[in-house]
Formats: sequence, structure tokens, C-alpha cells
Amino acid sequence: MMNKNLRKGGKKKDLEELKKEADMDDHKLTLDELSAKYSVDLTKGHSLKDAQEILFANGPNALSPPPTTPEWVKFCKQMFGGFSLLLWTGAFLCFLAYGIHVHYSEKTNKDNLYLGIVLAAVVLITGCFSYYQEAKSSKIMESFKNMVPQQALVIRGGEKMQINVKDVVLGDLVEVKGGDQVPADIRVIAAQGCKVDNSSLTGESEPQSRCPDCTHENLLETRNILFFSTNCVEGTARGIVIATGDSTVMGRIASLTSGLALGQTPIAAEIEHFIHLITAVAIFLGITFFSLSLILGYGWLDAVIFLIGIIVANVPEGLLATVTVCLTLTAKRMARKNCLVKNLEAVETLGSTSTICSDKTGTLTQNRMTVAHLWFDKTVYEADTSEEQTTGKTFPKSSDTWFHLARIAGLCNRADFRPHQESVPIAKRATSGDASESALLKFIEQSYSPVNEMRQKNPKVAEIPFNSTNKYQMSIHLLEDNSQAHVLLMKGAPERIMDFCTSFMLNGQEYPMDEEMKIDFQNAYLELGGLGERVLGFCFLNLPSNFSKGFQFNTDEINFPMKNLCFAGLISMIDPPRTAVPEAVGKCRSAGIKVIMVTGDHPITAKAIAKSVGIISEANETAEDMATRLNVPISQINTKSVKAIVVHGSELKDMNSEQLDHILKSYKEIVFARTSPQQKLIIVEGCQRLGAIVAVTGDGVNDSPALKKADIGIAMGITGSDVSKQAADMILLDDNFASIVTGVEEGRLIFDNLKKSIAYTLTSNIPEITPFLLFIVLSIPLPLGTITILCIDLGTDMVPAISLAYETPESDIMKRLPRNPKTDNLVNHRLIGMAYGQIGMIQALAGFFTYFVILAENGFKPWDLLGIRLYWDDASINDLEDSFGQQWTYEQRKVVEYTCQTAFFISIVIVQWSDLIICKTRRNSLFKQGMKNKVLLFGIFEETFLAAVLSYTPGMDVALRMYPLRINWWFCALPYSVLIFIYDEIRKLIIRRRPGGWLEKETYY
Amino acid sequence: MTKTEKKSFHQSLAEWKLFIYNPTSGEFLGRTAKSWGLILLFYLVFYGFLAALFTFTMWAMLQTLNDEIPKYRDQITSPGLMVFPKPMTALEYTYDMSEPSTYEKFTADLKRFLEPYSVEEQKNLTNCPDGKVFEQNGPVYQACQFPVSLLQDCSGVNDADFGYSKGQPCILVKMNRENNIANISTYPDEGVIDLKYFPYYGKKRHVGYRQPLVAVQVIFGSSPAKKEVTVECQIHGPTNLKNKDDRDKFLGRVVFKVTVSP
Repeated sequence: MMNKNLRKGGKKKDLEELKKEADMDDHKLTLDELSAKYSVDLTKGHSLKDAQEILFANGPNALSPPPTTPEWVKFCKQMFGGFSLLLWTGAFLCFLAYGIHVHYSEKTNKDNLYLGIVLAAVVLITGCFSYYQEAKSSKIMESFKNMVPQQALVIRGGEKMQINVKDVVLGDLVEVKGGDQVPADIRVIAAQGCKVDNSSLTGESEPQSRCPDCTHENLLETRNILFFSTNCVEGTARGIVIATGDSTVMGRIASLTSGLALGQTPIAAEIEHFIHLITAVAIFLGITFFSLSLILGYGWLDAVIFLIGIIVANVPEGLLATVTVCLTLTAKRMARKNCLVKNLEAVETLGSTSTICSDKTGTLTQNRMTVAHLWFDKTVYEADTSEEQTTGKTFPKSSDTWFHLARIAGLCNRADFRPHQESVPIAKRATSGDASESALLKFIEQSYSPVNEMRQKNPKVAEIPFNSTNKYQMSIHLLEDNSQAHVLLMKGAPERIMDFCTSFMLNGQEYPMDEEMKIDFQNAYLELGGLGERVLGFCFLNLPSNFSKGFQFNTDEINFPMKNLCFAGLISMIDPPRTAVPEAVGKCRSAGIKVIMVTGDHPITAKAIAKSVGIISEANETAEDMATRLNVPISQINTKSVKAIVVHGSELKDMNSEQLDHILKSYKEIVFARTSPQQKLIIVEGCQRLGAIVAVTGDGVNDSPALKKADIGIAMGITGSDVSKQAADMILLDDNFASIVTGVEEGRLIFDNLKKSIAYTLTSNIPEITPFLLFIVLSIPLPLGTITILCIDLGTDMVPAISLAYETPESDIMKRLPRNPKTDNLVNHRLIGMAYGQIGMIQALAGFFTYFVILAENGFKPWDLLGIRLYWDDASINDLEDSFGQQWTYEQRKVVEYTCQTAFFISIVIVQWSDLIICKTRRNSLFKQGMKNKVLLFGIFEETFLAAVLSYTPGMDVALRMYPLRINWWFCALPYSVLIFIYDEIRKLIIRRRPGGWLEKETYY
Repeated sequence: MTKTEKKSFHQSLAEWKLFIYNPTSGEFLGRTAKSWGLILLFYLVFYGFLAALFTFTMWAMLQTLNDEIPKYRDQITSPGLMVFPKPMTALEYTYDMSEPSTYEKFTADLKRFLEPYSVEEQKNLTNCPDGKVFEQNGPVYQACQFPVSLLQDCSGVNDADFGYSKGQPCILVKMNRENNIANISTYPDEGVIDLKYFPYYGKKRHVGYRQPLVAVQVIFGSSPAKKEVTVECQIHGPTNLKNKDDRDKFLGRVVFKVTVSP
């Protein structure tokens, strides 16, 4: 129960502890030592009383849940984070102003009350929205618990009893049989044909046999340990519990995964940075103008109302929703491309990724053994390994040697197709039997003849199955052409097969084995082995006539000749790379993303796959390869010139973090072979230490800590375990590495488009703020009200801002380096400068122009407006004189004022048209980019329509105080709209003409 | 685990100092002098251009305006009514007959308001024919005389206290100028404003224009009790002038309350 009393101080240290390999030596102990260590009788188990005491002392055998933040705390975080606090302040001030108003005057003006309610509603809705987004994640612990079995069979006091798994204690004698889940970590003391499926833990799908002997130094590799929650497939085993609950291998992974501190996603950091910026501006302006208005002699209430206006104008209320919608749209688009994103923010993280640590099996490869090469007639032939069998590689099938080779491969083979798969392509059919035999089966079915027919015509009469000691498999079949004679077929490890052979086949003729052949064989074996392939040798013997039909073959006491066989050839197999992977790796490379392979496989296989998919590129070679090529000892190789390296897990184990950092820094192409899951976590942390944003793929439970620790964890949709999917941020539905690359592309695109979207939204802040500032400073009638501001932020600006998410990239985004999270921000001073300093200012002028036009045309000339506010807003003055001597009642002039505000609002819509169009591109001309974005066109129409509806719908004068406009007032802002477009086209032209010039440095956001 | 350690106060202070002035690179607030110069120059030129453009569009807009009448008059189709003396609080006149100080401000206000209406001030104005609209075609526009005597008892000529001291206060009702019209006694009689005062040709052309007035005199009896009356004045014009608007309480009407204590 090491995790039970974790508190802040001890936590970090304990996690460090968990990251290390499980350091147990129980597998190395003899049975007597084991018995002594756990003071348990190896035949009778604990006494009931002892078991009770141990249970009481150690606690139940269960995974303890991690400390969690209560839901209401999470909810409050959403309610008071980000802009919410500013808006709450605004809402509070509204209510305060309303309260004061009610208290001091009978006339109740409810505008402030309504505004307060609207602001509060905006915060509540966006808060709930974000809370809902958050709440969906983090069910990791539940998924772990689902893996835990319910019942266990223990022997206590010599009696077998079925108990609840929670009650299993250290030292218990446990029996496990086929079909059971293992109830704890168990050291095997006796086993009969026991095989376990460790795939839930290690991802290795082939069942492994278990026996009482220690076969490996490493606890995870040795065959005498059963792991908690894995499945026993067949046979039975009996053993002593050596770890329970959180201290089991599974428990350690679970605690490690759920205990890992999660870093902020890059986009969250960017948005936080942006919120800080905007909040700082809002607070600065708010305080400045609050004090200014007090100095200018306005009352407290007025100053408070100005403050509300400034806050509302400064906060882009709709922006967080826009960002979320943009990310959701991209997430949906990615899901169609087989990247299922669980955590929305991960959409962008993938785009920022600078290092991908990829699994080999299944991600880079097809996860299916396939025949890659054949060697017969002293020639190496290549087989077609592509997924769709499209390369059309072929070899001389007319050779008689091929006939013999195919016969052995097809008949001396225990694999079989599962029924009812006639419509499935051969390569994709499911089979029973081990991976190599299935590969041979498919290969023969594809390139020779249907294996089932072969087997019916040549019935099997005897066989010796493959085992790890003899390393060959033999079967005896009746010959079809001469139904009396038998043929002995054998396949196995090439060196073992060679020992059986005294002759070899060349072009259908048998020749006695000679030295030349032996050398050729050695070379071929080395060549194929060097490709990382699993090589099998094939030979046969036509049995003499005294062993003809009816002879009883005895495979236990061999009563037939099994020497002087004839060697037919070699077939080598590999789990071949997926077709699209080399191109995807190439794309990553040109996109500046480092691809690191992390695999549990052998270095040679790993290196071969790495080379074939381009993780180790053709131009580079490892120090070992270079030494072999130059024929010099490895110590003479200048490590500086070597850019590729294959690191063995056992080397990694002895490295400290500086050494690991050195490797990660100085090699461009890295393969980690024979690594354990904990090491995967160490590699991820190493990359993160160097400032990289790391994506990690994984499928097993043991990958989950690395998946969670990574900036973006990618689980496999097909082969992945439930826990890995829970720990990951993204699920690859087709397990294909190439899909990650399309995801990266989408992620980069959305980052660019979010910039555009934010630039668009922020621009309209200036025409929203300036009316308030001039209202205070110049004492003119208010040009734009808070309600109209909300109409822009939450109404007309929304769809256009979202439509920018549909924008196509301006250039090949996969040809540039990943963004540097430290310097390349979502919102930088250049973007603010553009939006606030330049385009926003033009927009504000457009609004003020319209405002002055309407007032002037109604009788109030611009210079007469200065300082008029005090009289204008005084409800008791009902004969305010304008520039023409006309006298206005309070309501009459208020109608004009609100008409002006409506017009100001519509002017903003009109200048936002061109703002939207210029935001489509950051560098290219619009004429190059085109107007193909249909959503954007829709957005322009939508905002215009919405503006017209708000202005012309009858009753709007009562509801929102918006008034219908004369048609010609719509055109006042048009020249400014054109100016925005022309200005920005010129700006972009200069940026393109003078790359790296001053304008680019100052305005390219 | 890679969380950045919290910076110490000294560190961040030093960082701020470096940001404000960095002696090695000569940067002030993150920019060198040259960089500041360039960016300021850029914005100077940019805003200069914008200011010029804005001025130009404003100038162009003002060129389209007529100096004499506003382009649109649809916002004030009906005139508002306003009363004098200007009440302190919401259109309520409360005073004590026996305490002159309580109504002095009213009478002073009326006097000041009626000053331009004195015979002396109106001697250059035209004596217009009664009973019809006084249409003129310019270029010089005549303003009609509004003899203060029309207001009779409320003219202030005979009674400098405008009836306030007698408990018969006068209130003047004025119709807002627009380019285009109790036992209560009203002066002129029936509260009629002669058509000759219309139309109004605007401030620039129609110099000396005197807004016609209607005086309302509330005549309370001499009983010693405190008296109160609410008066509503409405325009009834030949054209369809509005006098009932839910929101605008001064459009074509005015409501006021007079309270007199003996």
C-alpha cells in the first residue's frame, strides 16, 4: 500500500520510484527461499489466521484510486477562470449600478439590470461549456479497475477455496487455470502446459508459456512469474503471491499513470497567454478611464457605467466559443482521417509536435508476418510485401525447386484459415496458428495453389511439432502422384535444417552438398537475417518404399530415416512496413519532426524496419554499419559524423539523464530497441526536457504512463487496450502511422487558422472601445452601446470567425519547422499591433464617420456635439437646440442616438467584411488564395443578414433599442472597408517582396 | 514533472529591470532606439494618413449638407412642448404665496425668458398679418413680432409677480422650434398660436425669430387651504401633430403640477 498515504511531499519521490523497473528478485529465489521469505507452506498455503492478519496489515488486493479534485472545485475553476472574472466584475457592476439607481430615483431604468443578466448568462454558459469539455476525460482509473478479476482460487490451510480477489494476500498459494485472470503477481512453483496472454500488459499478442524455472534476469521477461490481471490461456499453474494491489506490476503502472502530473497543452498555454494580454489591456483601460472620468467631474455612478462599457468592449466574449468550435470542427475532420481526438486541445498539440516516439509493431508495420524473401536455386528473390499486393514482384515459379519449397511450406504447416472468409483478400484473412506459419500459409495460397486442396491430396500421417529445443518441425505426408509413397517434410531454424541435409536442390535437380553451397547458404542466411527478417530453412526426403502407405510412423521413438535430407531453400519473413509509412516519415522529416522508434523488438529487426521506412535515412548509417563498411573497429569511428544510432534497452538502463539527453540531442535518427515501458516514459521525459513537444504511440497497458506523460498520447484503435485508450489524448482508428502525419497537418493548419480567427475577432475590439473613450473624453453622445457591442461579439462576428477554420493553407505547411512554443505564440505583439493599431483604427474611423454623418444630417453638426453630453443625457431638458435652431425633446434625441449606435454597429459589420477577407491570408495575396471558402462567403452573408434583421425587425426599437437605417447610411463605412483591403494587400505585397524586412518583422503575425 | 520552478522575486525583478532598460543591447522596453524610432515613425505616418482621410471624408460629407435646413427632419415630425419657468424637479411648481422667496426664482426665470419678447427688443421685427401661414421665399427672412401683450395677465407688464403672489401663477408653454407649428386662463385667448409664426426657416436664415408662447394662468380661489392642480397642455394642430407617445412625455404635450400654499 505504498501509495495509500502519499501526500504532496512524498509524491514526487514515489513517482520517481515507480518509473524505475520493478526491482524484485522473487523470480530468482529457490522454492525453499521463497517459502521462507513469505513464511508459507508451499503445499498447504497460509493458515486462515495468518491470511487474516496479513490482510489486516497490508490492506486489500485492489488498486487504490488517485486523489481527485472534487467536481465543484473543477466547476468553480471554469466559472472563475479566463475572462470570466472580468465579465463577473462587469455583471456585478451592472447590478450595483442598477441597485444604486433604484435606491436613489423612482424612475427605474432597467437597462443595467438586463445587461447584468446577459453578462452573467454569457459567463455561465461558456463556463458550463468548458466544464463539460473537461469532465469527459480522465476515466483512467476506472478502466484499470475493469481489468481486475473478481474471484481467485487460493489454497489456505491445505484447502482449496474460492475467495474474492480483494482478500488475496502476500504469500497466498494460488491456483490458476486456463480461462482465469491472474489475481495478483505470482511466482510459479508448478505448472502444467500453462500459457498466459500478457497482451493487456505488454502488448505482445502471442501467448507465452510459463514454468517454475527462472529464465531471465528481468522480472518482466522471466517465465516463472504470472502478472496481475493477465489471462491464463491454457494449462494450469500454481504459485505464491509476491505482490498485491498497488505494488503489482499492473498496480505500479496504474498508480504511475494516474499520478503523473499533467502539463498544460500548448494551446491552453497560448490561450492563457492571450487572456492575460487582453485582461491586462482591459484592466489598464478600465482603471485609467475610471479615474479620468472621475477627474473630469462625472459622478460615481457614471464612472461605474463607463467601466462596465470598457470591460464589455474589451473582452471578446465570443472568442473562447469560437476557438472551441474551430477545434471541434478540426477534430471532426481528423476523425474522418482516422484520428479520433479525445481531448479537443490535443488537436493543436499534434500540430506543434516536434518529436514523435512511435512504436514499431502495428504502427509502422502491418502487424502481420509476411514472406519477404525466398532463397532457392542459389538466388534471393523478393516477395511482394505491400498491403494491397500491388508491387507485382515475382520470381521464377516454373522452377521445380519452387514446387518442392512450396510443398513443404504449405504442408508442413499447422496454420489454417478461419472459415467463411472467401470474400476477404488472402493477405487480410484471419488465421489460426503462429505468425510465421500464417505468413507461409498466405504466401503459398497466394502464389502457389490453395493450401486446403494440397492438404487433402497429401494427407498428413505423422508430425513432430516445433519446440524451442529441437527448433524444427517435421511432418510426413502421403504423396499425391504416387499414393503409396510418403514424403518427409521439414522446416525450422536454417542452421538446424542444414545439419539434416546432405544434398541440395538446384533447378529441380538434386546435388550432393558441397562447400560452395554451404558458403552460399551462409551468405544468404546472413543477408536475410541482416535485413531483420525471420529466416526458416526447408528440406525434404522422399521416404524409401519400405515406408510406403500403411507404415505406422512413431514420432516418439523415431522408426523412420530422418537424415540425409535434401535442402530446398530458405524463406524469410518480416512484419513489413505499411505502404504509406515511408512517405509519411519523409513528410515528418521535411516538416522538421524527429521520428524516434521505440520498440521492444530486437535491434536488427528494428533497424531494418527503421531503414525501410526511412527513420534511418539512406544517407545515414549507424556507427556499427560504418565500421563494417570501412572494415575498421567501431572505436575508430568519429561519433560526430554519425547521425543515426540504435540504442539497446539494456544500455539505456545504465544511462543517467545527461547521457540520454546527449543521445537525443546529438543524433538525428534514433531507434530504441528492446525497451521496456518504463524506459518509454524516460525517453519521453528526456525529449520534453529538451523542449520538444512529444507525441507517443502505444497500445499496451504498460504504455499508458508514457501516453499520459507525452504532450499527446496516441493509442491504437484496433490493437490498443482500453487503458491505453483512456490514457491517450488521441486514438488512431486504423493504427497507421501515416494517419498521425495527416493529423499533424490538420493541427498545424488549425493553429494558423486560429491566429486568423483571433486577429479577425480582436480587430473589432477597437471600434468597440473607442466610442466609450471618446464619449468620456469629448463628451459626445455615446456612439456605441454595450448591447450593440454584445450583438457584435456574440452575434455577427461568430460565424465569420468560425469560417476561418475552413481556410485552406497558404503554402505547404508540412515544409516548415514545427513552431517553437517559446517564441512562436498564437497571439503576439504583431497580431495585436495589426488588429488594434492598424485595422482596428480604420474600423473605428468608419464607425465614427457614419455616426457623425447621421447626427449632422439630422441637425447636429460635429463641432456642436463636443461637450454636449451633459445636456444630451439630461432627461429634464426637452428643448435641446441643434445646429439649425431646432429643439429636441430628450426622447427625440435618444432615438437619433440609438439610430447612430445601430449605424455604428452596421458600419462595423461592413468593415468586418474586408477584415474577414484580409484575415484569410497572412502572406499571400487574396487573388492567389481565392474565395473558395464557401463557409466564409456564407459568413459574410449571414452577418449582413443578421445586422439587417437587428436593424429593421419591427419591435427591435423596444427590445434592443436598435432602429431602422436609411439605405445610404449603410454606405458610409464602405470607403473605409475598401481602404482596409487595399492597405493590407499592399502590406502583404511588401512582405512578400522583402522577406525578412522591417514590415515583416513588425506586422507578420 | 517538467513544471518550471517558480521564479524568485529577485529574479523577476531583475528580469523586469532588464526589460525596461537592457544596457548590453541598448534596448528600452524591448526595443532599441532605432526600433522605437521606426515604429513610431510608421504609426505617425499611418495615423497622419488616416487623420487626413477622415478629415477629407468629413469635409466631403459636410459639403453635401444644406446650411439652412437639416437634411432629414423625420426624427422630429412633431414638436415637443416645454414650460417656463423651468421647474427644479420633475415638472412640479410648489410655493408658498405668503413667502415671496419661494416663488422669486420662478418670476425671475419668467422675466429673463420674456426679455427678448419686450417691445423694445422686437421693434425691428415685422408685424405680420394674422390668421395665415407667413410663407417667405427669402433671401431675407422676416421674423414676426410676438407682442408680449398677447400674454395679457401673464405678460409681466402689469403684474411683475406673474400672478404668483395672488395664488394665480402663470406658466408659459413653449412649442419646440422645428423647421416647418385649470380654472385656467390661457393667453393668447384659447391658447391659440397664430399661424403667422410658421414656418421657421432655420437659425441661419430666420434671425430674430421669436417662438410664439402660450401662457397658462392657474387661478386658485382665495380659500386658505393648500391647493394643487395638474395641468396637461396638448398641441392640436391643423396637421397631424402627435401628442400621445408612450415613451416621449414631451412630444406634443407637457404635464405639470402646481401646488400653492397660502
